[in-house]
Amino acid sequence: MKLAYYPGCSLHSSAVEYDISTRKVCETLGIELAEIKDWVCCGSSPAHQKDELMSIALPAKNIALVREMGDLKEICAPCASCYSRLKVAKQKLADDNLRKDVETIIGSKCPDDIEVLHMLDVITDRLGLEAIKEKVVRSLDGMKIACYYGCLMTRPPKVTGKTNFENPTQMESLIEALGAEALDWNMKTFCCGAAFALTKTEVVLELTRKILADAAAVGADAIAVGCPLCHANLDGRQTQINRKFGTNFHIPVFYFTELMGLALGIRAGELGIFKHITETEDFLKERAFK
Amino acid sequence: MKVSKQQKNVTLDPGFAGEIQRRSGENVFMCYQCRKCASGCPSRMFMDSTPTELMRYAQLGMADEAMKKNTIWYCLSCQTCSARCPADIDIAHVVDTMRIIVQERKIKAQSNKLPLFNRLWMTMIKFMGRAYEPGIVVSLNLLSGKPAKDIGLGMKMIRKGKLKLWPSFKKPFAMIKMFAGARRLKK
Ligand code: SF4
Ligand code: SF4
Repeated sequence: MKLAYYPGCSLHSSAVEYDISTRKVCETLGIELAEIKDWVCCGSSPAHQKDELMSIALPAKNIALVREMGDLKEICAPCASCYSRLKVAKQKLADDNLRKDVETIIGSKCPDDIEVLHMLDVITDRLGLEAIKEKVVRSLDGMKIACYYGCLMTRPPKVTGKTNFENPTQMESLIEALGAEALDWNMKTFCCGAAFALTKTEVVLELTRKILADAAAVGADAIAVGCPLCHANLDGRQTQINRKFGTNFHIPVFYFTELMGLALGIRAGELGIFKHITETEDFLKERAFK
Repeated sequence: MKVSKQQKNVTLDPGFAGEIQRRSGENVFMCYQCRKCASGCPSRMFMDSTPTELMRYAQLGMADEAMKKNTIWYCLSCQTCSARCPADIDIAHVVDTMRIIVQERKIKAQSNKLPLFNRLWMTMIKFMGRAYEPGIVVSLNLLSGKPAKDIGLGMKMIRKGKLKLWPSFKKPFAMIKMFAGARRLKK
């Protein structure tokens, strides 16, 4: 299986471990990722809050770049925000007038036959859980994981096409295929406040506190995520939350690709796990992971 | 037109709902005030008025109430409301549209940090093609008068190799051309 790969800005910087683990896992599973050459930022939330036309043109530019790479039919984006923007653009371009404007801006045709997938879709839908189970060499037996989706992996359903957007179970099925226990909890689609990470940090601290508190209440050993912005908040803000609210959270937050990597027998260091802000060393040592 | 509401004068803009529809395709008159959007909004506790009230303001043409209060600047674009609205209104898109109008008309927003962040981000990708995180954090903190914000976290990220210390430049000429093209089309 060969896919066009759109890492997005975060995966080249603050979420570099998501990029590393995604590439490693795909290599092990025989999925070939071809990074889009000279991709540009999808615009993320600043674009859709400021400039409607550019918020479509930027993702469209990236979709157009895929066409230059041969006959790839699918783009996979690990970042939930990139995924959402690419998908919104693809949908909006069904409008002929908008398509004409956007193609004038990007200076080329934008193909309409390229599908946009989140990395999780690639794993559970394209590859299938059976193929993964076969390759698990180190079961995550005994780990209790709260799977966190946040907003854009499932919402709005008109864009993502997900029917169970209030209570998704896609990541849970993957975590269970790896041998771990996926917990039932309330906050799996509650927003962490990512859009305000830098501008209104007090909002982020409050919302993230609620999510961590619920995960702790159901007895989660760790949280699994599929978005660099969710990870930055849940993993990176725990110290600030503890200081502000007098709590004592210390919950490792993993990208689902990192957990897959561990189950596939890849060493934690090779997956970039030690780059997390909330330490994972003890968690891994207790469970005898290298 | 001016109507008096208690002591305060309210200015009505009868074309407000129409402008929202023209820009976004969303028809705010479909809202029947069921409050599903307000009850599920994670950011409600920070807002002056609820998303449901925002819809009513739009229906009534109360553009000032809608755009000068903090509500639109506390929307996280989390899409919870848009996913649940029984009248099928994409409320988050309506909020985005109001934010775009406020920024275009240079109305002084209740919170100026988000417009500043948006401006910095878009300028950055216009010249660099990609977002450069350390650059955006430092310039945002300096321009909003809080140079030391999150410095501890930032240092930790640098130690862990999570921040790229040098920006990369991708397709700068093509990007500048794209932005100029979009500007021309909007005129
Ligand atoms: S959910 Fe829809 S119909 Fe109900 S109050 Fe909100 S906008 Fe109006
Ligand atoms: S998109 Fe905005 S208004 Fe709607 S629920 Fe989320 S924060 Fe509230």
